[in-house]
Amino acid sequence: MELILFACAAALYVAATLAALVYLYLKNERVSILMYHLLVAGVVVHLASFGLRLELFWKIPENRYFAPISSFYGALSFLSLAVAVVFAVVEGRHRLGILGAFVLPWAAAGAVGAWWRALYMGGTEIHGLAPALQSYWMNIHPMVLMAAYAIFANAFGVGLALLVQEAQVKSRKPTELCYRLPAIEDLDDLNYRCIVTGFPVLTVGILMGGIWAYGAWGRFWGWDPKETWSLITALVYAAYLHMRSIGGWRGRKSVYMSMVGFACVLFTFIGVNFLSGLHGYLSSNG
Amino acid sequence: MIVLRGVSHKTCPVELRERLAARPAAEALSALREQGLAEAVVLSTCNRFEVYAAGDGDDPGEAVGRALEAWAGRPMGDAAYAKSGAAVVEHLFRVAGGLESLVVGEGEILGQVKTAYEAARQAQMTGKLTNVLFQRAAYVGKLVRSETAVAVGHTSVASVAVDLAERIFGSLHEKEVLILGAGEMAELTSRHLSSCKIGRLVVANRTYERGVELAARFHGEAVRWEEFPARLRTADIVIGSTGSDRPVVTRRTVEEALPSRMGRSLFFIDIAMPRDIEEAVNDLDHVYLYSLADLEGVVKDNVARRRGELEKAARLVETKAAEFAAWERTVGTGAEASLGHVRKTPRGGQGEKS
Amino acid sequence: MKRSLRLFRSVRFNILLFLVLAAASAVGTLLPQAGESPEKVQAWLQAHAAWGRPLQGLGLFHLYDSWWYLALLGLMAFDIVVCKLWSAPSDASLGGGPTPLASLPPEPGPEAAGRELERARAAIAATPLRKEFTAAGTTQEVAPRLRELVRACGYRLLPCGEAGAGERACLVATRQDLQRWGSYLAHVALVMILLGGLLKQLFGFVEMVPVISGGSRAMEHRDWELKVDDFTVKYYDGTRQPKLFSSDLKVYRGDKLLGAKVIKVNDPLDIGGVRFYQASWGAVGMFHSVTLKLGNQAVRVPMSTPTRIPGTDIRVTADMMLPSFVIGPDGRADSAGLDLENPAVRLSFRVGKKAARPLWLLESLPDVAFEEDEDGTLGQAPPPPFQVAEIDPVLFSGIQVACDPGFKVVLAGGILWLAGMILLFYLHCRRLWVVLSPAGAGGVRVLVGGWSSRGPRDFEVEFEELTRRWSSELGAQGHIEDGAEARA
Repeated sequence: MELILFACAAALYVAATLAALVYLYLKNERVSILMYHLLVAGVVVHLASFGLRLELFWKIPENRYFAPISSFYGALSFLSLAVAVVFAVVEGRHRLGILGAFVLPWAAAGAVGAWWRALYMGGTEIHGLAPALQSYWMNIHPMVLMAAYAIFANAFGVGLALLVQEAQVKSRKPTELCYRLPAIEDLDDLNYRCIVTGFPVLTVGILMGGIWAYGAWGRFWGWDPKETWSLITALVYAAYLHMRSIGGWRGRKSVYMSMVGFACVLFTFIGVNFLSGLHGYLSSNG
Repeated sequence: MIVLRGVSHKTCPVELRERLAARPAAEALSALREQGLAEAVVLSTCNRFEVYAAGDGDDPGEAVGRALEAWAGRPMGDAAYAKSGAAVVEHLFRVAGGLESLVVGEGEILGQVKTAYEAARQAQMTGKLTNVLFQRAAYVGKLVRSETAVAVGHTSVASVAVDLAERIFGSLHEKEVLILGAGEMAELTSRHLSSCKIGRLVVANRTYERGVELAARFHGEAVRWEEFPARLRTADIVIGSTGSDRPVVTRRTVEEALPSRMGRSLFFIDIAMPRDIEEAVNDLDHVYLYSLADLEGVVKDNVARRRGELEKAARLVETKAAEFAAWERTVGTGAEASLGHVRKTPRGGQGEKS
Repeated sequence: MKRSLRLFRSVRFNILLFLVLAAASAVGTLLPQAGESPEKVQAWLQAHAAWGRPLQGLGLFHLYDSWWYLALLGLMAFDIVVCKLWSAPSDASLGGGPTPLASLPPEPGPEAAGRELERARAAIAATPLRKEFTAAGTTQEVAPRLRELVRACGYRLLPCGEAGAGERACLVATRQDLQRWGSYLAHVALVMILLGGLLKQLFGFVEMVPVISGGSRAMEHRDWELKVDDFTVKYYDGTRQPKLFSSDLKVYRGDKLLGAKVIKVNDPLDIGGVRFYQASWGAVGMFHSVTLKLGNQAVRVPMSTPTRIPGTDIRVTADMMLPSFVIGPDGRADSAGLDLENPAVRLSFRVGKKAARPLWLLESLPDVAFEEDEDGTLGQAPPPPFQVAEIDPVLFSGIQVACDPGFKVVLAGGILWLAGMILLFYLHCRRLWVVLSPAGAGGVRVLVGGWSSRGPRDFEVEFEELTRRWSSELGAQGHIEDGAEARA
């Protein structure tokens, strides 16, 4: 039942993404409203499936009151929810629904990826939490980091839109798309603002991980690949922030740096699983 | 039944239109009332003079025609057109959507239609038919604008330039504009830009005094010609409009200014003929160069796009007109349905006289 | 000295440093690291013999401890100090030039006041947000009222002397000024965290002490002994997944008991800064006994003790156990690890003088049996009439002993970092300068300039609202103009 609901949520996200793409090319406000409705519906259904999963998860007494995100399926599902919510809040407030075509694919990809994994790789089995994860940090540390990832996904979408808009104006033959997308400087600003919001969240999440590790294994920092890559992500975004606000560099160079940062986010979340023993969902010891 | 008599830029020479346009609306409306018409709306713009009327008399159209001729001072002949019934509805919807305007898709006409309706309402010359018709026309006019691209894209070089600047910078507040030269085109563009509340206007002309003159008119600042490369460091928009034979802004000059700009965008608008700014400047990062030819190209694209959308808009108007006609029929038979519930497939034909 | 430091203070250098650190850290995740899994390092070196030596020389297999990596971290700490912390903390981004983070009281005297006035004028000229209007009255009347208005709008007035000329005055006000401390605090926090790491590197240690349940073992970094009276593992029903494992731990120095606790994961024992964590556990291959099931009969066979199966002549000896039984590449019995994933026991049978081939039986798969040859290779065998009901293994508790004297420093740094982040990114610092001077036709010319840490666009609306309010409150006639260049 939970999987069916989740599949519905994934389908709704995909539908919202398609609506966003249609809205990008067709001038029809109704499509934009449809996109929001689909997105909100997707979030609601997703939350319902999350609730069901929670109920199942808490049947095992040791799991009580922890969030069910210890498996790759659970984490990816939560992440796609976070991206959808962040998009709805950020773009909704700034009336930039046009950016849905650049951001929502990540929510849809995450949800579809999680669903695929659940369906074909048996990822929805409910396990008891390993003793190391039975800590109140379980409800804080992963959520904080994934909120940061969701914000960075948003920033990436904005950066992508910026490159598109730049190409449009530079071509000297701007199409209708150019008039629908926000201005180049506005997109640059929004990219900066997203990262400025996400960077503190990321770094605080990393620190929380260290404090948890100190309580569980005695060492604050062990250069485990996941830890290291989250630090690499933070370093790259710190480079971006220094470029932009202290160096005053705007425009393409800084956008590229922020995109490298997001590539690091992707590696931290997905790639590391193939490397890490400690944090790896997908590795054989995980 | 509703009738229409009117003239437009498509059918009628300018002097005749002017004579009609000179008639104040209130006067026209009371004249029509005296003619025995129960409902009438007068739409008077620089390109169009139309009277929409309905009444119980034998032929309200006749009455309106007579009034028109009285105002014009001579028989109208081919200059005026006449419609009645459903054809009037479609025509009004087309007018409101900007499809009949000189510049297709222009937005002013919708406001003018609303004003005309208001005037008639205040003169108590509206009734059920005109009320619903004009309110519906306002809705259709808005719909055309929101659902088709017939009104998208500016069609004058100056407004296209401002549009593009807004696509780069967002709001033009506190942006610095540097004008090279001080001719007529420079002035026109300055006027356009200063209406956007730019931050600072700087004029650099070879003749310092002429620069000062232009700057003063727009609360700007004048600098000596030799200083303009330095100003490239702080300007956001640069307008080239000198009468020079050869480019005055070279790629090297811009390159030197770029490092201190730190990646902020720089927009060159080259409206001089021959060009003031080297083509190679466009190759630089964060620099956008539009020449007069480029801007005219954009205008052409916009106009073509609008025209392309024309068909789509026309079909939209047709559908809405048919809806209205169906509603009108239900009124006639007494089994009145709400406009919202009318099916979208048109029944019967247009131009049908009832 | 200052000149040689200029390199370190450049933004380009900082960015380069971040990226080099990032790239170096990435390399460490792609190559196996000796600290985590020495076997993998060996395997890698064997597989890539040509690369092995040079990479090892560079320290790439213990990258995060290597001298050059630690030097990079040290360089970053040095860089932070030089850029941010050494010179008197000031903020160059504020309009009007470098401004100290903490405002000093104004110097007395008309000359100083005149300088303040000039500084305010310069600040106003430098910002794009400028407005001016003419208020009714004289400067002496308007200035205090304006001060009240500014305060009422939520701004805090900074000391700015009354210009001695009496007819001219200036006001400087700020809001959420604390934001300007954010960057400074964040950088201090970073240095603290690095310092904490250094303390750990120099004075801390980590040691894994496996203690057999019921046994004891000495540790290396202290002359203490760890004794585990009882080690328990609990599994989730029907699975081999542990839900809990804990040790009843006592720590002795000689005869003295230093501390005792039943430690669990996430719940360590702390003795004066040295902490004992329940990190892992496993089985080494010893066991107490095996219980065999024969029909409804259960026979308990202690380790290495020949036991007679009741009702028969068969004597069975259980002499070896593997916690995670697999058949190795050489066909012999082997264990895939120390976790009890697939416990198996080797049984030898004797009937009188005749000995049969030893059999390997698995606890979780009763129908499977393997025969072992003299040379140890295994072959499938028909399952015997009895099954292994339970193996009672000897477990060891993996206790991680760690001492991290730097942790408190790191924690304090972490909290300071959080504070710095909140101040820097979630506050909005704004500043206003006002210059009052007599207007030509009577009244007071009020020239206002505004600066926002988030750029003019984020402050525009509020700025216009403020100036509009003040101009109406001060009885201004005429428009509020966008301030022209500040005139003398």
